[in-house]
Amino acid sequence: IDYTGTEPSSPCNKCLNVSWDSTPPCTCTINFTLEHSFESNVFMYYGLSNFYQNHRRYVKSRDDSQLNGDNSSLLNPSKECEPYRTNEDKPIAPCGAIANSMFNDTLALYRIDNDTRTPITLIKKGIAWWTDKNVKFRNPTGDGNNLTALFQGTTKPVNWPKPVYMLDSEPDNNGFINEDFIVWMRTAALPTFRKLYRLIERKDNLQPTLQAGKYSLDIAYNYPVHSFDGRKRMILSTISWMGGKNPFLGIAYITVGSICFFLGVVLLIIHHKYGNRNTSADIPN
Amino acid sequence: RSMNLFLIVYLCILISKALINTVLKYVWQSEPFRDEPWYNQKTEPERKRNLFLRALTDFLAFMVLFNYIIPVSMYVTVEMQKFLGSYFLTWDEEMFDEDTGEGPLVNTSDLNEELGQIEYVFTDKTGTLTENNMEFVECCIEGHVYVPHVICNGQILHDCTGIDMIDSSPGGSGKEREELFFRALCLCHTVQVKDDDSVDGLKKNQLSRRSCIYISSSPDEVALVEGIQRLGYTYLRLKDNFMEILNRENNIEKFELLEVLSFDSVRRRMSVIVKSSTGDIFLFCKGADSSIFPRVKEGKIDQIRSRVERNAVEGLRTLCVAYKKLTAEEYSNAQKLLQNAKLALQDREKKLAEVYEKIERDFILLGATAVEDRLQEKAADTIEALQKAGIKVWVLTGDKMETAAATCYACKLFRRNTQILELTTKKIEEQSLHDVLFDLSKTVLRHNGSLTRDTFSGLSTDMQDYGLIIDGAALSLIMKPRQDGSSGNYRELFLEICRNCSAVLCCRMAPLQKAQIVKLIKLSKEHPITLAIGDGANDVSMILEAHVGIGIIGKEGRQAARNSDYAIPKFKHLKKMLLVHGHFYYVRISELVQYFFYKNVCFIFPQFLYQFFCGFSQQTLYDTAYLTLYNISFTSLPILLYGLMEQHVSADTLKREPSLYRDVAKNALLRWRAFIYWTFLGVFDAVVFFFGAYFLFDNTIVTSNGQMFGNWTFGTLVFTVLVFTVTLKLALDTHYWTWINHFMIWGSLVFYIIFSLLWGGIIWPFLNYQRMYYVFMQMLSSGPAWLGIILLITVSLLPDVLKKVLCRQLWPTATERIQNASRHCREHISEFTPLACLKSPRYRSSDCSNSPARRSNSHSKKMMFTHWRGVNYSVLPSVFGYSNKHCRSSAGHHYSGTGLETSV
Repeated sequence: IDYTGTEPSSPCNKCLNVSWDSTPPCTCTINFTLEHSFESNVFMYYGLSNFYQNHRRYVKSRDDSQLNGDNSSLLNPSKECEPYRTNEDKPIAPCGAIANSMFNDTLALYRIDNDTRTPITLIKKGIAWWTDKNVKFRNPTGDGNNLTALFQGTTKPVNWPKPVYMLDSEPDNNGFINEDFIVWMRTAALPTFRKLYRLIERKDNLQPTLQAGKYSLDIAYNYPVHSFDGRKRMILSTISWMGGKNPFLGIAYITVGSICFFLGVVLLIIHHKYGNRNTSADIPN
Repeated sequence: RSMNLFLIVYLCILISKALINTVLKYVWQSEPFRDEPWYNQKTEPERKRNLFLRALTDFLAFMVLFNYIIPVSMYVTVEMQKFLGSYFLTWDEEMFDEDTGEGPLVNTSDLNEELGQIEYVFTDKTGTLTENNMEFVECCIEGHVYVPHVICNGQILHDCTGIDMIDSSPGGSGKEREELFFRALCLCHTVQVKDDDSVDGLKKNQLSRRSCIYISSSPDEVALVEGIQRLGYTYLRLKDNFMEILNRENNIEKFELLEVLSFDSVRRRMSVIVKSSTGDIFLFCKGADSSIFPRVKEGKIDQIRSRVERNAVEGLRTLCVAYKKLTAEEYSNAQKLLQNAKLALQDREKKLAEVYEKIERDFILLGATAVEDRLQEKAADTIEALQKAGIKVWVLTGDKMETAAATCYACKLFRRNTQILELTTKKIEEQSLHDVLFDLSKTVLRHNGSLTRDTFSGLSTDMQDYGLIIDGAALSLIMKPRQDGSSGNYRELFLEICRNCSAVLCCRMAPLQKAQIVKLIKLSKEHPITLAIGDGANDVSMILEAHVGIGIIGKEGRQAARNSDYAIPKFKHLKKMLLVHGHFYYVRISELVQYFFYKNVCFIFPQFLYQFFCGFSQQTLYDTAYLTLYNISFTSLPILLYGLMEQHVSADTLKREPSLYRDVAKNALLRWRAFIYWTFLGVFDAVVFFFGAYFLFDNTIVTSNGQMFGNWTFGTLVFTVLVFTVTLKLALDTHYWTWINHFMIWGSLVFYIIFSLLWGGIIWPFLNYQRMYYVFMQMLSSGPAWLGIILLITVSLLPDVLKKVLCRQLWPTATERIQNASRHCREHISEFTPLACLKSPRYRSSDCSNSPARRSNSHSKKMMFTHWRGVNYSVLPSVFGYSNKHCRSSAGHHYSGTGLETSV
């Protein structure tokens, strides 16, 4: 579902030129219909287009040791983070362009059943790699669990409305180990990409996770993409052992298989036709 | 040499790539939101930099990014391959000579591959083609022939052979001459005597005259002295300037040695002046017939000359002996002249030569000797093989034309049907040089025309080949630069003739002339690779001049061996050296070079393509560790080993079939066509890797838990496919598998996997980025990634396999036919299925099984997954066994969970 809102008819058109810290956030709602029901767990993604997360200046603009909870780099981030290293002589935590431009739209999904909106529970844990969450990303160490104290002496990234220790209310999903943050920090390979936003778990075996029917998507539109001609999407998908729908592999295997088969036949013919000549090949003296 | 050319091409590609990217970058960035979107701003100093400087920086950054396309590590590998490869030559047991107990020596490792490219072989005759093991055969004194076959207690057997023998008991004057002749031979030399036992050497010598050993720089002299010893005159020693001779009556005669006019190759003779005990002064001269006969004023010239010529035709080395009696005045004059010349400070050589010229004349001819020099074993065989291999063999010798020609016939350089063209002094005297050359070229060119017709009609070209004989004097006439500037014509004409002759014999050559000839050929239009082989000091100049110089570790000292690039004990070893080792070296190095370019194109081209997707920002596709280690450890060892071990045809076959050498002649495997083929293969593979991975990642989820992969996973996927493809490509090219090959190829793949696991498995404390952390493991945990890897490897190897099979079946080269034949032989013996000879069974067998799968599949589109599996099952077992299990275990799952995905 594209909710960028470039078309004037789109409900999100009014939010097209939002800035970062507009308060209150511009909100809009998009209604859509699911043709089929989703049987198993559903994965909710946000997708961005024309967003060069793989730009070199962007990719290197982070400090992994700061994110790993190293106290000295917390206060003295790496030079790579420029120009998002310090703000008003205070070190930025987390520093760098990647962190600074973190996706901050809030998406909420509702099921519309006879004009009543029932919210669908979105799970925000388990969206990042386990190793990233538990090993690679760590909050700075110190006495006590008070993240506010631990991040003392640092400032929030320029574009963020809140500092890093206020990303989430739960302590095991806050600070650097916030999973939304971790997901964002894994830079995408291509300019059009999607990132996992939430999980929708199947509650019982009797009914599908998402029934066919009408839904609405509430968006707190904060993230400006219009300036670089970008698009924003929301994607719902189920996943097999093979991952999501991937027509490429199938087509490729069919093609290669048929080419191989064709070649096999051709070569067999050639072999039969010219094979005799080979067996009696006169060895030049 | 072509390697450097290729490098230049790659440098151009590199620069153009960087330029393209820089230009595109600025075109692309012309819209400001692309240059500097809000999420990715530049630092202050970056913004202030002016445009030109930025463009330059970008260009250089692209250069750095793509610089891996220039295979720097290739040079290291090539050097190592050459260096280690040269040991293979030294270790070859077949090249070891039991007689001398010496193996081949390699003085340089730079020229290994040139051994496979030789077009001209220049060989010395004496000591190279022949053994240089002289044996005195006969001597002829005024028409009487003495043959010392049978020696009984020092008695000569006065043999009479043929018509030359006039009467068996020579008259008084004849007797006198005979004795003089023997004395002359005994005295006129520079042989030194080495006693077995220095204490009572003299006695011993008197008792057993064969116990002393003669040492000389020239084996001819030794042979002569030994021969004379058998005829009754023994040279004992040189003591206080007195030469002692034991004559037939066991009396010691003493001669005072007054002067030695030593041998040199220009005069081709030497003389001694001795004073006999009776006070007579004699000048004995020994030398080549051509230098003696003009200086003789009396003696039975005609008889001796006919004898000499007969001997020469039989391939014997002949020397003439003459003497002159000097009066005391004459001697003192001569001595004075000599003294002056020797003391001259300037132009001493020239003056000495003049003096020699004055002294050495008006001889009385005594007789001639004949010394046999046997051909080396298998010399004929070797020459024949070389000629079959398309190598032109030239014999350059200082010997007489007749002698040399006889040797050439004996060693099959000239065959019976070879038409001999002569370009000798004699002929030039008759006509002018101009006419002779034109006549010859006309003959040769006419022949050449018919030859091309012959080859077209498929007839054997051996039917009419031409041999050219040229002598030193004629050559110097040709080479002599003339004032009117028309000398160039002669030279070219001469070259033209030579090129069309299968064999050329140059006789009566001075050492410098040998080098001159080599140079002439070397600098001719086609720039052929030349090889000179010789054993003596007189060959050194030619050995140094030629591209490859080979010295024979022979009797005439080690001077040649020391100056050469390679030294071998016998001429016959040349065959194995060129046909087997040279061929291997060449095939190996060419494959090595091409493979290196290929693998670097494969490596860097995805990088280039990636720039189009990352905003031309010089973002690397691969992690830095992969970038660094790709050439160093992931892919270097298998190719190095290939470069050392590959034997595409067995060594025996190569030796048996010299014509295989033609397959690699003229740099066949490093031509532009091959180079372009490899480059395109590399580009194709790179495109397959990149776009395969691109489509695999494009807007889909490839994990089973819904989590996404980042750019590093993308790069790692491409890199994994790359490493596997490149290594397996080498495995496809390898014909000769040893356990080391297996170890290296599979070992480096395993090493890659282990390294990646390690590299991603640990948070490395000394790195300031952790971007590879768990990337590889995460990738391996995803099913589509596995399928994608396998698919991409198969696809990228497919064209190469296809090309090989097609070429092999439809247009086989001789080499491939031999390979097939030998494979067939093996199959007949071991009764294998004949199917194995086709390279494609793995594809055929796999495809037969998946064809029904496809047919059933066309009915139900939703069963797409089944189809994949069907294909997978058939392709996988042949390519990778291990992924099979993975597929089967998961087969049950995916019926239930086909991808239902919406994007409304």
